[in-house]
Amino acid sequence: MSFGLLFPAFLAALAALAVPIWLHLRHSDKDKPFRFPSLMFLEKLPIRTASRRRLVDIPLLLLRLAALTLLVLAFGRPYYSRDVEAAMAHRPRAIVVLLDRSGSMGHTDVWAAAQDSARAKLAGIQQTDRVALVLFDEEAEIAQSFTSDLGLVRAAIAAAKPGDRGTRYAAALRAARQLLSAAPDATHEVYVVTDVQRSGVSGLAGLDLPTGMTIAAVPVSPKRRANSAIAAVDVRRIAGQRVTVAVQARVVTRELPGTRRVRATLALNGRPSGSRDVTLPASGDFTIAFDAVPLPSGRVSGTISLEKDALAFDDVFRFTLPDEDELRVLLVVPDDASGDETVYFERALAIGKAPTVRIERRRPGTLDARSLRDAALVVYWDARPTGAAVETWVRGGGGLVVAAGSRMAARPAVSPLVPATITGMTDRLSDRGGTFGEFSREHPLFTPFRDANSSLGLARFLRYPRLEPGAGADVIARFDDGQPAVVERREGAGRIVMIGAPLHAGAGDLPLQPTYLPLLRRLVLHTSGHESAPLWRLTGESWNPQAIAREPVVSTPSGEIVRPLADSAGTAVALKEAGVYSLYDGRVTGDPAAIVAVNPPPGESDLTPVDPRELLLGVRLSDQAVDADHARAAPRELEGNQGLWRAVLAIVVLVLLVETLLATRGWRGIAGHTTVAPSERSAP
Amino acid sequence: MTSTAPVNFLDPAVLGRIGDLALLARTVVEGFMHGLHRSPRKGFSTDFAQHRQYQPGDDLRFIDWKAFARTDKFYLKEYEADTNSAVVFALDASGSMDFKTGPVTKFDYGRFLIACLAWLSQHQGDRVGLMTFTDGIAEVIPPSSRHLQLMLHTLGRARATGVGQLDSSLKSIAHLTPRAGIIVLVTDCYEDPNVIGQAVDVFRARKHDVILFHLIDPAERELPGRAASTFEDAESGVRIPLRPEDLRTKYRTLMETHRRTLAERMTAAGADYVDVDTSRPLDHALYTYLDLRLARGRVR
Repeated sequence: MSFGLLFPAFLAALAALAVPIWLHLRHSDKDKPFRFPSLMFLEKLPIRTASRRRLVDIPLLLLRLAALTLLVLAFGRPYYSRDVEAAMAHRPRAIVVLLDRSGSMGHTDVWAAAQDSARAKLAGIQQTDRVALVLFDEEAEIAQSFTSDLGLVRAAIAAAKPGDRGTRYAAALRAARQLLSAAPDATHEVYVVTDVQRSGVSGLAGLDLPTGMTIAAVPVSPKRRANSAIAAVDVRRIAGQRVTVAVQARVVTRELPGTRRVRATLALNGRPSGSRDVTLPASGDFTIAFDAVPLPSGRVSGTISLEKDALAFDDVFRFTLPDEDELRVLLVVPDDASGDETVYFERALAIGKAPTVRIERRRPGTLDARSLRDAALVVYWDARPTGAAVETWVRGGGGLVVAAGSRMAARPAVSPLVPATITGMTDRLSDRGGTFGEFSREHPLFTPFRDANSSLGLARFLRYPRLEPGAGADVIARFDDGQPAVVERREGAGRIVMIGAPLHAGAGDLPLQPTYLPLLRRLVLHTSGHESAPLWRLTGESWNPQAIAREPVVSTPSGEIVRPLADSAGTAVALKEAGVYSLYDGRVTGDPAAIVAVNPPPGESDLTPVDPRELLLGVRLSDQAVDADHARAAPRELEGNQGLWRAVLAIVVLVLLVETLLATRGWRGIAGHTTVAPSERSAP
Repeated sequence: MTSTAPVNFLDPAVLGRIGDLALLARTVVEGFMHGLHRSPRKGFSTDFAQHRQYQPGDDLRFIDWKAFARTDKFYLKEYEADTNSAVVFALDASGSMDFKTGPVTKFDYGRFLIACLAWLSQHQGDRVGLMTFTDGIAEVIPPSSRHLQLMLHTLGRARATGVGQLDSSLKSIAHLTPRAGIIVLVTDCYEDPNVIGQAVDVFRARKHDVILFHLIDPAERELPGRAASTFEDAESGVRIPLRPEDLRTKYRTLMETHRRTLAERMTAAGADYVDVDTSRPLDHALYTYLDLRLARGRVR
C-alpha cells in the first residue's frame, strides 16, 4: 500500500511549524506579566536569563506541532492506493474482449490468429472474474455479455467470422464502456484483438473513457501485407446505334513481392461481360479498361473481380450505372429573338458531361404533353410560360426556368407559372452596371460559389427587370441594389426558377464571366431535379431513398427487406453490408426503382499497422493510462481512498482538544488563574 | 443569642460573598465569644471600685453627682467589671495586599479578620479603633466603644493600593497611640523582620500588647508557575523575567526563613505572631487570637 498527496504543494505550509516553536521560545516575553505581591525574595536570588531561551513545555509544543502538521496534511488531500498484487488479489476482474471482424481481418494469416489471441485472454481467469465478447467492425455487437462461463465465450469466438466492412475502434470502446459500467466493483480490463489499422482510428478523438479502465491492444497483423484491391470504377456511356458502356477499374497494389499476373472480370447484372488479363505492378495504381459492352435494359449493376489473393474482400468491386446520361432541355425562344441572343446559353450547356445536355429550341405555345414527356427542363427565354400542358407537366415534377427580360417587362401579364411579377426595367448604365449582391450560400444553385462568392460579383448587368416575388416564392439572390435577381417557387412536385439577371451578352457580361458555365449547369441540374447519383457508396454511409419512392422498401444484399422509417432528418437506410441494395416503392415486385452498390471503405485494404499506443492518443483518459501492466482501482474505490483528509481533520480536532485540556489544567493553568484581583473586586 | 456560627460562614470563599461587614462580623463572632472571657481591667459594672476624675469624652451618665456636690469637682464612679481596653487594629493597605490565588485577596481576608475581632472586642467591652496604612497612615479612627460601625464602614471603603512602608507606618501608629492598649497588626510583612521588630519594641515600650497577623497567600509560599514568566512587583512595578521552577526551592527557603525569623523576633519583643494562610477558614485565626490572649492571662 502506498500513500500520496493530491495537492503536495500544500506541504509548503509546513513552514508554519516555525511559528509555535518561536512562540514557545519567547512565550513568557509575550505574556502578560504576572503581578506578584513583592519581589523582595526573588531579587535576592540569582536568575539566569539564558535558561529562559530554551524550548518550554515540550509536550505541549509537540502537540501543537502535530496538530499543525496534520492540518497541512489534511489540506494536501492524502490518499492511499493498494499495489497491483493487493488490488488483483482483492477485486474480481471484468474483462471485455473486443474482436475485430472487419474486412481486413479476413486475411488468411490473420483471422485464426485473432481467434487464438482472443482465447488466450481467457487463460488465467478465476471463478470470480467475468468475461464479455464484443465483435466490431464499423459497429459493435455484444456477442456475449458478462459471464463466468468461459465455454460460452469460446463458442462465441468460434462462431465469429470476418465481414467486409471497415473498422471503427470508437464503436468498440463505447460498447466496452457500456458493458463495464455494469461492473463498477471490478477491475476493468479491455483487450482489443485487431490488426491495428490506421483507418479505424477515426472517431476516437474526444472519446471519454472512465478512469480505471485498462486497455491493451493485441495486435494480429499479417506477416505478409501484400495486397491488391480495386479502389474505383469509371463507367462511360457510348452513344451509337446501340448504347454501349465502357468500364474502367483502378487497382491499387501494396507491397507485392513482384508484378502479379491476374485476370479481371466484368459482370453486368450478374452476367459476365468481359475479362482482361493484366500484370499488376508490385506497388502503385493500375487501370484496367474493359471493352465496351452493350448496355442492358433497366437498372444495371455491375461487379469487377480480380483473382483472389490473401485478402479477398477487396478483390470484388460493385457499381451501378446511372439511369440516363442525357438531359433534354426545351428552350422556348420568342419569335423576335435572334439566334445570337441564346448562343452563349446553348453553347455553355452543351459543354457539360455526365449528364450531357441536349437542347431543343421551341416556339412559344408549341409545347404539348407529348413534347414534354421526356423533357428534363423547359427554359422560357424572355417569354411567359403558358399552356395547361406545361402547367400539368411542372406540377408532375418537371422543371421550369423563366429567363426574364425586356420583352416580358413590356407585356406584363399574369401567369400561374411565373413566381414573380415584373414591374419594369432597371437601367444601371449610369453606374456602370449592377452586380449580384447577397445570395443564399446554402442553395444548391450556388453550391460552386460557396467558397468563391466574390467570383459571382464580377458580372455586371446594365439592364434587368424589376421582379416582385409572388406568394410562395423565395428570393435566393439579389442584385446589389436589393432587387430580386433569382426567385424560386415549388409548384406541385416540380420547381420553377425565375432569373432576372440577363443570361445573354446584350444587357450584361455574365456570359463572358467564368461563373457562367457552373451557374447555368447548376441551374439546369437543380431545376430539373437531376441529382447525379454516385456509382457506388461505402459501407457505413446512409442512403435517403425518399426522393425516389414514396413508400420505400429496401432489399439488402443479404436478402433482408427493410422498410426505413422517416424521422426529422428524412428517411435513411444504413448501408451496413457490401453488395447491391434495391429500392422498391410500396412492394418488392418488378424492377426496382433504384439500386445502390456498396463497397467496403478503401482504407480497409491498407494492411500497414500502426503503433497500438498511437491508436488511443486522442482518447481522454485520466492518469489511469493505457497500460495492461497496471491494475487500477475503480472510481468508487479511488474516491474512498482519498477520504483520508476527513480522518486527519478529526485527529486534528482531537489533538487540539487534548492540547486545550493540557494547557488549562494542572500546573499549566496556575499561572493563568493566578491573577491580581482588580481593586474594584476588593470591595466586600 | 448564643447560636454557633456555621462553619461555612468561616470559609473565606463564603465570607467573600457577604457584602455587609457588620453582618459578617456578628455572624462569625456570636458563635465564638459569648461569655468566653472577662476583662482584667476596671470598667463600668455594678461592683464599685473607685472614683476617677472626669476627662473629656467620658460619659456624663457616670458622673457621681454626690461627689460633685461635696467637692465641686467631677468624678466618675468606676466599677469592678469587664474592662474597656482600647484595641487598635492596624491594617496594611499597600498594593501587595491586593493579591489572591484563592477566593479572596489578602486585603479582604484582613478586613474580615479585623471586623470579626472588632466585633468580638466591642462585645467584650473594649474600645475599638482602626488605622490603615501604606507608606504612612491613611485612615485613623480613635478607639471608642461607639466607633464600631464607623470602623466597619471605613473598612468597607478601604482599598489596597500604593507602595507600602511598614517601618514608617508602624512608627506613626506608635506615635498616635500614646495610651496602653492592644495593637493588632494585620499585614503581609514584606519588610526586614528586624525593622518590624524594632517598631514593635516601641509599642512594647509603651505597654501595648501587640498581636501581629502575618497574612500569606498560598502562592506566596510556593512561587507558582513552571514556564518562563515575567514577575512584576505589585507595588513598585519592577519586572523580573525568570523561570519559577528553577527558583522555587530557594524561594521557599527564603520565605520560610523570613517567617521563622519574624516569629522569633516577635517572641523576643514580647509580641504575639500569628501566621495566617488566607486559604484557610477564618476561625483558625480567631482561635489562635483567643488562645494567645488566654495564654497571657489577660482573660480571667
